[in-house]
Amino acid sequence: MARLVILGAGVAGHTAASFAAKWLSETEDEVVVVTPNALWNWIPSNIWVGVGEMGKEEVTFDLAPVYEKAGAIYKQAKAVSINPEGSADTNKSFVTIEFTGQDKEGESENIEYDYLINATGPKLNFDATPGLGDGNGHLGEHTVSVCTADHAIHASHVLDETIEQMRKGERKKFLIGTGHGMCTCQGAAFEYIFNIEHKLKEEGVRDMADMTWISNESFLGDFGMGGLHFNMGGFVTSSKVFAESLYAERGMDWIIGAHVNKVEAGKVTYETLDGEIDEQEFDFAMLIPPFAGVGLKAYNKAGEDITDTVFAPNGFMKVDADYTVKPYEEWLPSDWPRTLQNPTYKNMFAVGIAFAPPHPISKPMKSPNGTPIIPTPPRTGMPSAMMGKAVVSSIVDMMKGKATEPTHTSSMAEMGAACVASAGKGLFSGTAAAMTVFPIVPDFKKYPGTGRDINGTTGEIGLAAHWVKHLLHHAFIWKAKLKPGWTLIPE
Amino acid sequence: MAEINKESKHVKHVEPYSPQSGTMIPLGTQKFLRTCVLWQLIRFVAINIKMTILIVKSHR
Ligand SMILES: Cc1cc2nc3c(=O)[nH]c(=O)nc-3n(C[C@H](O)[C@H](O)[C@H](O)COP(=O)(O)OP(=O)(O)OC[C@H]3O[C@@H](n4cnc5c(N)ncnc54)[C@H](O)[C@@H]3O)c2cc1C
Repeated sequence: MARLVILGAGVAGHTAASFAAKWLSETEDEVVVVTPNALWNWIPSNIWVGVGEMGKEEVTFDLAPVYEKAGAIYKQAKAVSINPEGSADTNKSFVTIEFTGQDKEGESENIEYDYLINATGPKLNFDATPGLGDGNGHLGEHTVSVCTADHAIHASHVLDETIEQMRKGERKKFLIGTGHGMCTCQGAAFEYIFNIEHKLKEEGVRDMADMTWISNESFLGDFGMGGLHFNMGGFVTSSKVFAESLYAERGMDWIIGAHVNKVEAGKVTYETLDGEIDEQEFDFAMLIPPFAGVGLKAYNKAGEDITDTVFAPNGFMKVDADYTVKPYEEWLPSDWPRTLQNPTYKNMFAVGIAFAPPHPISKPMKSPNGTPIIPTPPRTGMPSAMMGKAVVSSIVDMMKGKATEPTHTSSMAEMGAACVASAGKGLFSGTAAAMTVFPIVPDFKKYPGTGRDINGTTGEIGLAAHWVKHLLHHAFIWKAKLKPGWTLIPE
Repeated sequence: MAEINKESKHVKHVEPYSPQSGTMIPLGTQKFLRTCVLWQLIRFVAINIKMTILIVKSHR
């Protein structure tokens, strides 16, 4: 009997666990899922929770019955450390976990594994910006967040209170965007600002709001991907034009190339790429925190700390990427990992946000003071799930003795991504921006000029895209619950 | 009081020489099409086709 342990049950980990349990169901092999959360969360719909258009119960469900049905062993716990070589007592690789539920809170356990998938996603590093966090790793008191369903519920209550005050005639300043120079996930903040704007219009108080976007992107529409170019009306058009058009249409201001370095009550201080230090006041702010790895440690057989061997300095796990430090001009699509296998310990893999990217996708920039202001690469839902499935396909082949090396690849330089960014919810009044990009990491040799396939990279705004977004909400929750036909729904 | 030109209502919030004045802003027809159910039904099919092609190209 062999055992596959999957750390994390988010988009990437849950996809991996679901397929592993299905493909290994007729064998003696075990699939163990370790995740601290009792609930699965369809994170993209947290945006709608954050404007009161959905409740927490519509974007989450209990994981335990799903894993029971799938035949996977579920441990509600967080992984603390990995011993890829075993320890003085055992030659078997193991992971040390600490329970967060199942009536074993605080208890530790070592779980031996033959294969390990790290799908632990991001640590929401609020404390990287003074005042954005509370100093204990959690969201601070001055701003709201939509990164988790609970954060989004809180954001929605604060928004309701703000709207109430606007109804009484108080003018309010909204500030939405990124809370640090090294953030990713601009798309989520983009969705939130447009959903708030839509909500304010529906509540009849839009004219009482000053809305400002603040972001570490060097231009609007960079999205951490160095922007993208669409074929629009026979013109190759930059996402800069696409994004600026939307902000201008909805009467919003923007501050770009900004590193927020301090958050206080009603005010942020930021430094821009041209070296200015400025302040922006707010009554309501949602600033995405920078992401880091979740802080797993690694030890060798002698018990020595080998965290630096297994993980990059930002805490994400090293995989088969080319981590040589080189200038932007020398970056290649082949720098990006394909098998997602750890180079030192071949039975370990990392997928989704948990793998260490070789470098950003956007061109790195610094302020004249030397502050790096660089959007870090997005690893959105579709690529995260595709990596989870590809890695599990490789592992299952190896567990079944069909191969000794990974048989499947999933490189962000060879795959595309579909992204539907909501700009307001409503069956007939909603809109969203539907974008497809191919490939995610530009390949300037294959596609000179824009780095991407102009026919495969598209964008449009409208009600149809909102319907697609709503459909995906239901389809992905159906799939994650492993309901009939779930395998037919693509990642 | 001077009457506002019909199409200008879509851009009346834009300050001259502001960053907003340097981009494209949709006028009435474009905005109408964005929520016109018939046209959007066609776009719904088109978006799904585009995404299916992308998914097929990305799975290897
Ligand atoms: C508000 C918001 C909106 C978004 N909207 C979109 C969108 O519209 N489209 C899109 O494609 N993407 C969107 N994204 C991005 C998308 O959510 C991520 O790409 C995706 O969740 C990444 O998947 P993941 O599995 O790597 O990480 P996650 O989904 O975050 O999962 C990580 C899992 O690991 C668990 N974990 C954490 N620490 C440990 C530990 N120590 N041990 C074990 N388990 C651990 C977590 O509890 C979680 O279950 C959005 C993100 C946000 C925040």
